[in-house]
This record gives sequence, C-alpha cells and structure tokens, in this order.
Amino acid sequence: MDNQIKSGKDVIDEFFAEILNVEGTDESTVNKLIELYGDNKFTDSNIQNALEELKQEAIKPKKIKEDGKN
Amino acid sequence: MAKIKTIKINGLRGVREPLTLDLNKKSILVYGDNGTGKSSVTDSFEWFFYDKIEHLSNEEIGRRKGRDALRNIFIPETEDSFIELTFDENKLDSKKSIDNSLKTFNSNETDDFKKFIASSFSERLILRYRDLVQFIIAGKTDKLKELQNIIGFSEVQNIRDLLKRNGARIARNIKSANYDNLKNVQQCTILENLGQNAYTDEQLFDGANKLIKPLKLEIEIKSRQDINTVLKKIESKEDSELLNQINFYTKIKESVAQIEGNVDNINNSYSTFYDSFNALKKDPEKVKNLQLLSLLQEGKSVLTKDVVEDDYCPLCQQEKSKIDLLQDLNLRIEELELLEKEKEKVVSNSKDLQNTIKPNISAIEGLLTEKLFGKEDYKELKETVEEIKNSLNNHLDESKKELTEKLSDKEKIKFAKKEIEELTSELVKTIKKLTESKEANLKFKTYTKLFQSAKAYVEYLKIEKEQNVLANQQATFELLYEDFIKRQEEALNVFLEMFSNDINDFYTTMNPNEKVEDIKLVPLKKNNELVGITIEYSFFNETHTPPIAYLSESHINCLGLSFFLASVRAFNKESKFFVLDDVISSFDRSHRYRFAQLLTTKFSDFQVILLTHEKEFFELVSSEVKSKGWILNNFKWTKDNGTGIERGIADIKDRIKKKIEDKNTDGLGNDIRVYAERVMKRVALEMEAKVAYRNNDINEKRMAPELLDAVQSKLTKASKELKEKANIPKIKGMPMFIGNTTSHDNSFQESIEDLEAIWEDVKGLIHNFYCSDCDKFLSLKFYDNVENKIRCGCGNLKFDWKK
Repeated sequence: MDNQIKSGKDVIDEFFAEILNVEGTDESTVNKLIELYGDNKFTDSNIQNALEELKQEAIKPKKIKEDGKN
Repeated sequence: MAKIKTIKINGLRGVREPLTLDLNKKSILVYGDNGTGKSSVTDSFEWFFYDKIEHLSNEEIGRRKGRDALRNIFIPETEDSFIELTFDENKLDSKKSIDNSLKTFNSNETDDFKKFIASSFSERLILRYRDLVQFIIAGKTDKLKELQNIIGFSEVQNIRDLLKRNGARIARNIKSANYDNLKNVQQCTILENLGQNAYTDEQLFDGANKLIKPLKLEIEIKSRQDINTVLKKIESKEDSELLNQINFYTKIKESVAQIEGNVDNINNSYSTFYDSFNALKKDPEKVKNLQLLSLLQEGKSVLTKDVVEDDYCPLCQQEKSKIDLLQDLNLRIEELELLEKEKEKVVSNSKDLQNTIKPNISAIEGLLTEKLFGKEDYKELKETVEEIKNSLNNHLDESKKELTEKLSDKEKIKFAKKEIEELTSELVKTIKKLTESKEANLKFKTYTKLFQSAKAYVEYLKIEKEQNVLANQQATFELLYEDFIKRQEEALNVFLEMFSNDINDFYTTMNPNEKVEDIKLVPLKKNNELVGITIEYSFFNETHTPPIAYLSESHINCLGLSFFLASVRAFNKESKFFVLDDVISSFDRSHRYRFAQLLTTKFSDFQVILLTHEKEFFELVSSEVKSKGWILNNFKWTKDNGTGIERGIADIKDRIKKKIEDKNTDGLGNDIRVYAERVMKRVALEMEAKVAYRNNDINEKRMAPELLDAVQSKLTKASKELKEKANIPKIKGMPMFIGNTTSHDNSFQESIEDLEAIWEDVKGLIHNFYCSDCDKFLSLKFYDNVENKIRCGCGNLKFDWKK
C-alpha cells in the first residue's frame, strides 16, 4: 500500500480489486462479494442471500458418476 | 475542472414551478427562511450526482434511495420532474428526470459524462448542517464515524461494518446450529446399524461389506453405487410397510436425539438470558431509565432528521437552540449508555436462545407432518412429540418477553434431559424390535441396516459440508475485515498527515489570535483496532485532548468545516464546486464573518453554493462576498409554486406583460395582485401612509386591501385632487384584491379580457403615483413647501398636499 492520498471510494475500489490476494479466504465467497460490489448491491440482505446460495450449492447432492465414485 | 453555469430544477422536493439559478461559473450566496426549499436544491443536487438522497433513504420514507420522496407531490402525473445542470464544459451538460413511476433518465449518456459522475463519488460536493451537528455532538467513538462522513469516508465505514457484522452473524449461526451434535446423531444411527462408525467412504464400505457377508452375494462394495446395487438386489416389496415404520421411527429418533444433544445448550442459553433479564429488571430505576432512554433516542432522531427545523423543544415548545438541545440529549443518552449496553446484552442473549431453539422447532414441525402420525396407533407418540414442541415454544415465548413482564422460573421451565434420553432410548428399542421382528429374514434385516446407515452417512456428509462452508465463510469475512481496517486506517492517517496543515490553516483563519494550534487527530485503539478518534491540539503551548473541555460549539463547528474543506482540496479532481447547506448555524458572529472571508480568499478558485436560513449571516457577509463577484439570491416559498426566487418588481411586470401577450391566464391575477402590493407598499412609504405595526418580517407582508386603505385614508386627509384621480375604491373592489395573500380562496374565474382590463386599471392607478420621466414615486421627500404640493423627483408629477 503506497502513501498516496485516497478518497473513501479509492479505498473501497482498491480493496475489491485486491481482495482475491487476501490469503486464506474462500474463493467462491470472495468472487460473490466482488460481484455484489460491482453490481452496486453490497448490502446486508444481498450478502446473506448470496452466502445462503453458495451454501446450498455446496451441499447439493451430486449425481453419482458412472464408475460409482462420487 | 468543471464549474456550473446554470441549475434548473422542476418538480423535485419543494420545487413545484421551474427554479433557475444562472450562476455563470460564479459562487452564490442564497438566503431562504426555514421551509423555503433551500434543501430542495441540495437534495436535487445530491440526487443528480449520487443517484440517492442519503437522509431520505431510510425505511420510514422509502428504501429506494430516497426516490419515493423525490417528486413534488403537486406535480401532475404526466409531467417529469428534473434537475438540469449546464457546465462550462458543454459536454457535461445533462438533465436528469424522474417520471411518475419513479423511473429515472439522464439526457447525457456520453462516456465523458459517465466518467464525470463516477469521479464525483470520490469527491466532496455537499456538506449539510446535520453532518456538522452530528460531528459536534458525537462522543469519542462516534466522532470517527461522523468525521468520516464529513470527509467522504462514510461508505468505507459502512463496508467495514458489513464485513464485521456478517462474520459475526455466520459465527452465531454455526454456534446455534450445533453441527457437532447433528453429526453425532447421524453417527449414532450408523453405529447402531453398522456396528461401527463411518467418517469416510472407506469406513462405510468396510462396515457394509461386513454386514452383507452372511448373504454371500459375491459383491464387494467399493462405492456408494455398489450400496444401491446391493439394496436393490435384496429389496423385498412385501416388507415395504414395515420398512416405512422403521423409517418413521428412525426420523423421530434422530430429531429427538438432536434435541437431546441440544438440551444443555437450551437450558444454559435460557439461564444466561434469564439472569441478564432479571439483573436488569431488579432495579426499577433501570427499567424507568430505559424507557426514558428510548424517548431521548427518539428525540435525538427527530432533531437530527430535521423534523423540527427551528430552535425550540418539540415537547415543551420552549425556545431553545437546536444544537444545545441535541447536546443535552446526547449527554443524557451517554449517561445511560451503560444501561443501554446491559439492555443490548439481554437482547443478544434472547437472540442466542431463539437461534438455539428454532432449528429444533423446525425439525419437530417437519416430523408432525408425517402421514403415520394420522393413525390412531401413533396417537400417544404424537402427543409426546407435541409436548416437546410446546416446551420448545414456551422457551421461545419467554425469550420474546418485554422487561415489564415476568419470566418463568428457570427450574420450572427447564428441559428434563432425562425424559428426552428415555424417549430416545425407547425409540432405539422400537426400531431394533421392528428390525429384528423378522429375525429369520436375514435379507430384510441386512437391507434395513444398510439402508439406514447409508442414509445417515449421506446426511452426515451433508452436515459436515455445511459446517465447513460456513466455517470458510466466517474465516473469509474475518480475514477480509482485518485487511480492510488496515486500509481504512492507513488512508485516514495519510489524509490527516497530508492535510493537517490545511486543516490547521483553515481553522486558524476562522479563529485568529487564539492560542489553539497544531490540531491533529489521535486514533483511539482497542485490541489494536481503530475504534474512534479524538482531537488533539495545542492550547497555550500545552497539548490538550479531548476538545470539548476547551473548545466551544463554534470551535468544533469550525473543525468540522475545516475537515470538509480540506477534503474538498484533497479529493475534488473534476468538480470545481461544492454546496454548503446551512453550515454556520452553530457559529457566533465573529466566526461567521471570518468563515465568509475564508471562502472568498482561500477558495476563490472554487465555485461555492452557500445556502443559509440566517438572515443576519446573509446581511453580514453579503457585501464581503458580493465584492468578490458572488451572486446573491433570496429564496421564498409559496403555496402556488413551492420554492422559488424572490423576484424584483421589474421581473413581475415583465412576466405579466408576457402572460397578457400569450393570453396566458395561469397565475396572472396573482401576479397582478403581487405587483400592485409591491407598488402600493412603496407608495404608502413615500407618502407616509400609516399601517399598523407588526413584528419583524410580518411587517413586510402587507396585503393589497390594507395598503390601499392606508393610502386612501392618507389621501382623504392630504389631497382631494389625488384622491379623486386615483379612484382607489375602484381598484379595491377588484376580485383579486378581495381574497388574501394567495388568492386561492378567491372563486373568481378570470378571463384574459377581464385580466387585461384589471391590469390597465392597476397601471392607471400607479401612473398617478409614479413618474416615468425621472423613475421616481411621488414622495414627501420632494415636498414643495412653496406650492404645498407633493411631487416626484423632477417635478413633472405633482398634486396639492396638506401636510
């Protein structure tokens, strides 16, 4: 991070531009947050809904493949 | 960098008829009494640039970024409301409209304009009174929030809060779901059926192979597909009813086992909630103060949202400065803050309890929809399950009680774990009995056990997956929050370091010869996290903090303004203008003048739109700003047109002429009345016709009949000649002079011919008092003592006059 003067918007834009570099985070969650911010929908309820969707997607039973493996 | 040439607003907020401000890149000082619609200009401006009106974007008014309250309520449905801005760079000119369905349109869709609007999100274009008031009255932790609002970091704070809140919410969900308990229930089912636990596919296949070995099927289970193949192979349709029964009991057992694993949590949560609830309730003073706190907080909200605009207390109706009132409220609210924290703890404990219970209630409700519960054989079991549900609901009801109510005793409501354990054990026995009931049928027994364990294993994996997903989400939010607050703190520090000289300079310009200097912000940290700021400064060469002890309201107001102006210098890269809406209300006289000087000297390169409702301030600084090329304007509000600019007599006369030319009767009668009032006021003044005294501004608002009477009365005494010539009773009898100031209660429907005739008569009347040769009215200032005549400046117009 450099020593340049930054407006509030600069701080937020930079954060979202570099958010994928934050180590140890879950990529799908981060991508969803980037998407919400890009769509100007970064609100409590939208975040909650998006996280719930991600959760449902993750726990959805997967079809058993032909070889019987999951 | 862009400057504004014109602002045109129509049908937005308080502006009903088109309002045009011709700025031609100049700064402007606008005076308008409270309610004349200055803020309509600021609101429209905010909407143009930011597509929202922050102070209207709450639940009471509407969630659609304030759009619901944007259109003037009297504007016809077919008409679009709009704000149109033209700039010195024509390519940025745009008209932003909103129609009756609240759809919005921008006339300029060029990339240049979009870039310009996007850049405004980084700039500081508007500062309102309420932003400064919040900064002035805020406590240490809130000061950081309010300062960020002033310098354009409020969205940064919002994002920070969102990250923190969501991380905490996920953590709470994980805790209340009690995933380990849920997984344990499934493992119990696996153990009961397979004789061993299965945490992995391999363990499941190993157990399954052991189970099917006696059937000598010559199949080795190596996948879940193989399990399905085996199940299909040994399935017997004759046994389906028994199997349904076993499944039914297994479901009940699993749900009851979940509750069993959660009983301690429920009892502990209730105990915590009960203790905190009763600790608060124990002291009746606390309960009273809490009720008082709600009132004080509501009062603060009413004042900060400008529901009350003038300086008086809305409860007792006594006159009191709004800032003083807010500060008093804030002090009392701060005193009760500890109590508020105690209350928040109770609310949080109540929510924890609810979150712990709700998943169990849902599971039980699901069970009760099972078809078999409709049969008489299961009536007793159904009642037992319903009892559990009632008990859970009792806990839920308790958690929702108000402090004025009494909670059920802990021991009385406590979940009896033993009973639940006994029920689980009974259900396990029943399942076993049903499974073993066909002991001779090895296939059926194997089928049931394999089926139940495979099903429980899939459920186990699902729960574990869900737990992992949430744990990952929680960790992600915590890491992002950590990263974000570092960025926020760094950016704030850089701003304060780079602009502390400017802030100091602006502040000391408004406060010369005061020994306050070296103003800087000091971060307040808790657990190494920025939680607030305090302001540090040197006073007679000694460092002091916090400011309240030595700095007056005016001084803190100066600080807030200094921060805003520094942020304008720092961030405005495309827009060379900004709006200050009523920002000097907390200033004393000396600060006001120096504030105007600060703007005209240090911000002469900027275009300032300065709005004030303080006439004294307007008058105090008018000559200062006018000498620097600023435009001055007065706003007025009328029932007819909403917000508008106070027009001079010449403007009204031109408007009347134009309307007559266009045969346009709309508002023409009213214009003629207003014109006549203005002129007659001048006539009365020049001939010293007396009207009753009234206080302050009301003295300025004289209606035509009163003025005409006063002049007539004066003429009766002083000039028979002029009285006869003027024929005032004829004018006074005209329809538009019969009503009051607005003529709305006047039912007279004017035709253009009527109005033309009335206008001619009014002009004729005025012609008797006004000389067009010297552009002067008859006046006692020009009284001819020799001829005893009242005359105009050049003497071409004169009449006998008895002094």
